[in-house]
Amino acid sequence: MADFIKHPVVELPERDPEPSVPADRLFFSEEEKARIATYVSRYPTADGAIMRALWLAQEKFGWLPPEVIRLTADTVGIPYSQAYGVATFYSQYYKRKMGTHVLDVCTCFSCQVCGGYDMLHHLEKKLGIRKGETTPDGRFTIQEVECLGACGSAPMMQVTNGPYVMNLTEEKLDTLVDALQEGRMPPFASVTLPQDQDEMGGNRRSDAPSQEIYQAPPVSQTIR
Amino acid sequence: MPTITIDGVAHEFEAKQALLQFCLDRGIEVPHFCYHPAMSVPANCRQCLVEVGMTEVDRETRQVKFGEDGKPIVRFLPKLQTSCSQEIADGMVVRTHRTSDLVARAQKDTLELLLINHPLDCPICDQAGHCPLQIQAYKYGPEGSRFEFEKTHKPKRIELGPRVMLDGERCINCTRCVRFTGEVSKSHQLTIIERGVRNYPMTPPGVVFDEPYSMNVIDICPVGALTSVDFRFKARVWEMSKTASITVSNAKGSNCWYWVKDNRVLKVTPRDNEQVNRYWLPDEDRLDYERFNDGRLSGPVVDGRPSSWDAAYAAAAEVLGSVEPASILFLGSAHASVEDNWLLSRLATHLGAPAPVYIPHVDPGHGDGWLRTDDRTPNARGCEALGILPIDADSVRKRLSSGAVKAVYVLEEDPIASGVFSADDLGSAPVIVHAWHTDNRTLAAAKVGLPAAMVVETIGTFVNEDGRAQRVRPAKAIKGVNRTLMMEVGKSRHDLHGTPFDRWYDETNLVDCQPGWVSLPAVAARCGLELSYRGPKDILAEIAGSNEAFRGVSYEAMGESGVRLQETAQTA
Ligand code: SF4
Ligand code: FES
Ligand code: FES
Repeated sequence: MADFIKHPVVELPERDPEPSVPADRLFFSEEEKARIATYVSRYPTADGAIMRALWLAQEKFGWLPPEVIRLTADTVGIPYSQAYGVATFYSQYYKRKMGTHVLDVCTCFSCQVCGGYDMLHHLEKKLGIRKGETTPDGRFTIQEVECLGACGSAPMMQVTNGPYVMNLTEEKLDTLVDALQEGRMPPFASVTLPQDQDEMGGNRRSDAPSQEIYQAPPVSQTIR
Repeated sequence: MPTITIDGVAHEFEAKQALLQFCLDRGIEVPHFCYHPAMSVPANCRQCLVEVGMTEVDRETRQVKFGEDGKPIVRFLPKLQTSCSQEIADGMVVRTHRTSDLVARAQKDTLELLLINHPLDCPICDQAGHCPLQIQAYKYGPEGSRFEFEKTHKPKRIELGPRVMLDGERCINCTRCVRFTGEVSKSHQLTIIERGVRNYPMTPPGVVFDEPYSMNVIDICPVGALTSVDFRFKARVWEMSKTASITVSNAKGSNCWYWVKDNRVLKVTPRDNEQVNRYWLPDEDRLDYERFNDGRLSGPVVDGRPSSWDAAYAAAAEVLGSVEPASILFLGSAHASVEDNWLLSRLATHLGAPAPVYIPHVDPGHGDGWLRTDDRTPNARGCEALGILPIDADSVRKRLSSGAVKAVYVLEEDPIASGVFSADDLGSAPVIVHAWHTDNRTLAAAKVGLPAAMVVETIGTFVNEDGRAQRVRPAKAIKGVNRTLMMEVGKSRHDLHGTPFDRWYDETNLVDCQPGWVSLPAVAARCGLELSYRGPKDILAEIAGSNEAFRGVSYEAMGESGVRLQETAQTA
């Protein structure tokens, strides 16, 4: 059996960590507070606004240590525990300090059968770190994530909560890492499916020029 | 009247309600995990699935349409519905697992999924024996597992707070515990973290699950994921007998079960009573049981030396007979039952002594407007209804020092520890005390010490803060008393599982003590007052016949959930 079937261990988060953001920097500016108030006003109850507010907090502080989640919950006006539950649900919220580039490799159903784990392990080998870790130079963090909703282009990954890189191959990953090393983010790519190539001119996005033509998805090496 | 058909049987109903609750109320079992009648309905466990259909009605004539077979045509919803979130409606037709293979299959599959990552550690799990997951897996689950891989491993033995322990692997993520903290206790100390196979309930960083009601999540957790730090591994559920009674740590009189093994109370859990505590019990009520087991005064004491019951009763009567009746101070007790306080009053009246008074134990700010009260005694209201009023400690001390009080008779209290008077204040005045514990400080200064049965060993009535009279029942045996204790307890009670696993034959840990309604008449008899009752039931009947406040109160009327004292008498 492939080596990826290990003990799936779910770790306990630190129960009472030291704060990472100094107290004198732990606040939202008046302008940020006003923005959060606008988010809150969009929903019938305040909890609807927590996701957008956490996003704002992550943009401001870089990641979401517990004290920032608490601050955000208080600002939105919902219980801290609820906000913490939301923050831990999504891998897009960073509960740890991350590298400059976060490589989120999908290993959910479709990506898994199409080689998601092959891609993950290739990256791990290439960068010399395991999933969940950051390279010593602080440039890359690898995460294993659940379905990102682009199963049609499996296996796929997302770069730092930004562009998707789809129909992954090992070569494609090598090129990507090299590009990121040089500071070049991959472009937003749109993938067409065979059935709408004709109608949609091959591009389902109006805001992104690049496109890729559908290709038969690869198959996991384990299955092969 | 609107009608709903469940498994071919028609049921009439008046008000709309959830289908699952409707079934449960009628004894139609529908397996479920996440639904709890006191909380919101997330419908996340998917165990309560049923087939739901509506009889077809002709739009014009409003008549039910019949098929060729002469039966009404029923249109079933294409997918199974969660009965917990499905509202009943007129003409609804429901098929449960009893009549639908589809439903039975769905429930089996749900269980298979739930069990994929559930550890098979029932042999060491506290919940085993009364675990909804275990029971339902046996009744409705698949016979084996098809999951050949390593199970997900999650944190185990995590103290969420000082009283609640989490085993993350056992959790089925029903969210009952989280909803309890969010909707019922409103402490918001728990949340589900992570997602998918990785999720489990947790406190957010920096938060400790220490709210005063935290242990309720242990009862409502449908698996063994949340266990009591205090009770873990002490006994299997089938080794204990449980007795319906009330808690006595405060004046709320929350209804509870006392769980007993080898004549020791091991845990206290809530008993549903819509009128008092619903499904909940504060932690203070649950952890206040060790005093029933340990440090007990066993066997009477006269002049500091062990004595026989006869000699002790005689010594008590001698004290009472040797002083001016008007100089005897009778102390009733808000810890003792209505019946025992009544007998004490009768003894005082017979002797011509002033009416008994009681020592209030009020802790301002302790109450929370819910199930904890400022009053730390269970029966102050009952004492007052009997005309036993709060003590005026200053005047008592004055009367002691002036020699106006020459003897003190104490019922289940510790006036010295309560600061009413000191051993020095007593001077040479002899004291008779019905005491529970050897560390009773008044006992040390007493001439006669009569060991008293506690709430878990007696029969009696307590009146809570809101004026509700409720019964207590003997949960554990004491020495020397007919084990059946006035037939309150059958000799071979069945345990939870219907097996005659009877803990009452256990001879260990028997305390040599007597309920007040045995010892007080014994003392009274030696003072020339015949108090012959067949038991506390008769005593209460006498009270109800002579005291307006208790009119209509009887053991039958109180039953399992109590009755309120006469509203009219309360205001009088
Ligand atoms: S710990 Fe128990 S009550 Fe809480 S979500 Fe898990 S199974 Fe439900
Ligand atoms: S499974 Fe990878 S994007 Fe859906
Ligand atoms: S009880 Fe209905 S889904 Fe859980």
